[in-house]
Amino acid sequence: MKDFMMIFIGPDYGDLGLSPEEIQGRMGKWFAWSQKMEKDGVVIKGGNALTSGIRRIVGENRTVSDINSAEVKELVGGYYIVEAKDFDEVQEIAQGFPDYDLGGTVEIREVMVFDN
Amino acid sequence: MQTKLIDHLFRHHSGKMVAVLTRIFGLSNLELIEDAIQDTFIKASLSWRNQIPENPEAWLTRAAKNRVIDIFRKLQTEQKYTPNFSNGLSSIAIQDLFLEDEIEDAQLRMIFTACHPKLDPKDRIAFALKTVSGFSGKEIASALLLKPETIKKRLVRARKVIQKSNLAFSIPQGLALPKRIESVLEVLYLIFNEGFHSNTKEQLVRKEFCGEAMRLCKLLLKNKHTSIGAAYALFALMCFHSSRLDAKVTTDNEVLDLKNQDRSKWHFPLIQLGNVMMNKAVELDDFSCYHYEAAIIAEHLKAAHFEDTNWKQILYWYQCLYELQPTPSHVLTMAVVCLQLKNYVKASFYFDKIHPEALEQRSYLYYSAKSDYYYATGNMNKAIEAMNLALEKVTNQLEQEYLKRKKEKLII
Repeated sequence: MKDFMMIFIGPDYGDLGLSPEEIQGRMGKWFAWSQKMEKDGVVIKGGNALTSGIRRIVGENRTVSDINSAEVKELVGGYYIVEAKDFDEVQEIAQGFPDYDLGGTVEIREVMVFDN
Repeated sequence: MQTKLIDHLFRHHSGKMVAVLTRIFGLSNLELIEDAIQDTFIKASLSWRNQIPENPEAWLTRAAKNRVIDIFRKLQTEQKYTPNFSNGLSSIAIQDLFLEDEIEDAQLRMIFTACHPKLDPKDRIAFALKTVSGFSGKEIASALLLKPETIKKRLVRARKVIQKSNLAFSIPQGLALPKRIESVLEVLYLIFNEGFHSNTKEQLVRKEFCGEAMRLCKLLLKNKHTSIGAAYALFALMCFHSSRLDAKVTTDNEVLDLKNQDRSKWHFPLIQLGNVMMNKAVELDDFSCYHYEAAIIAEHLKAAHFEDTNWKQILYWYQCLYELQPTPSHVLTMAVVCLQLKNYVKASFYFDKIHPEALEQRSYLYYSAKSDYYYATGNMNKAIEAMNLALEKVTNQLEQEYLKRKKEKLII
């Protein structure tokens, strides 16, 4: 088994101007996904949701800028780390990600293991 | 562990918290408050992804309370507001404002604010649906068949008027009260009707609007100053109409008229509740068009079969209603009732009094009824002609299909 990271990229809920009803609906879908993963025995080793504020430090001069989420097209909103055999298995898990219809993306990356 | 949330929890909670926070910070900070509440929902949606808390409502209320502190800080740094408890808030701890009774009181204040005479009547509905009921501009627009920009404009205009006029966040007292209750009832009635006669193509009946109007009307009935006869009558009317919500549409989403509805599908407990409310309504001194409208629908509900309907009594109630409220749509209904009574002379008399343009988007109802009239009096050509006009005017897809079926029967 290997560790994979599912990185969730897409617009911020706040910037989409969703109604309370729609936010509740979104949450229900996330909840259903996590229940499905639990049922399917997916081992989630970690995960977090990220707030929308961004501070970026760039280049030699360490130029600092605070960026509003609305200014970024592709915002990383959160991630899960799951155990799986290979990319295909994670791809299957990622089918349940709820926000594809909002233009969301799931990026799957394998966590690198170093031999001692 | 919770596995599912109460339906519309977020939407209902939004109305409650916006009202409470407005009571604390005043109407001048409404926009800030609405944004803050929106933030708490987004936060909830992220932190509840894997597990819904034991008591979601308490979680949301706590989050709103925390927002109070944030808002205080924000306003203080912007120097827009220094806590000023001279307005009587000092006697009640802010904590207490989050108790159920106080939340209801705050919501009532919000309804009365939404119906302030300074606001344009069109803006009142949009503002109430947004601020009191927690619908988004987009949702309101699609339910009212308007462009989202139109609703946005109305909301902006309403907020501006509230700011500029420095409205008090209160329920008016004394002489101003009856007039304002009238305006509140009118808005609730319109919201209910938007739900009941929903014009949206995809979803014929927006039950949510009906439920929302009833919930808000109930708030009026709970308060001793606002529970007047007209409010009871309106609530009775809503109960009676709601009892038929499920019978109004077939499983294939076809509209059914009263004649073809399966009366066993009428929801009896709601009819009973309506009767109780009606009894209260007539005990009180004031009298309103809602009394008559409720009496009319009660008359329909009394009949076990369509053939048993007491049309004479219904015509009488409509005549009373028309006295109070002389609108062309009542005249049209009286014409239709006369068709049921086979009194074609009187029906024709009423038809002649109507200018179809005055019925605006409902003019198709006039032509459809006129077609029935011609059919009943044996003038087939004119019946088909009128039905064609009805089909030309109708906008709702389901109503259109209903009229088409009617026309097919005429041709055979």
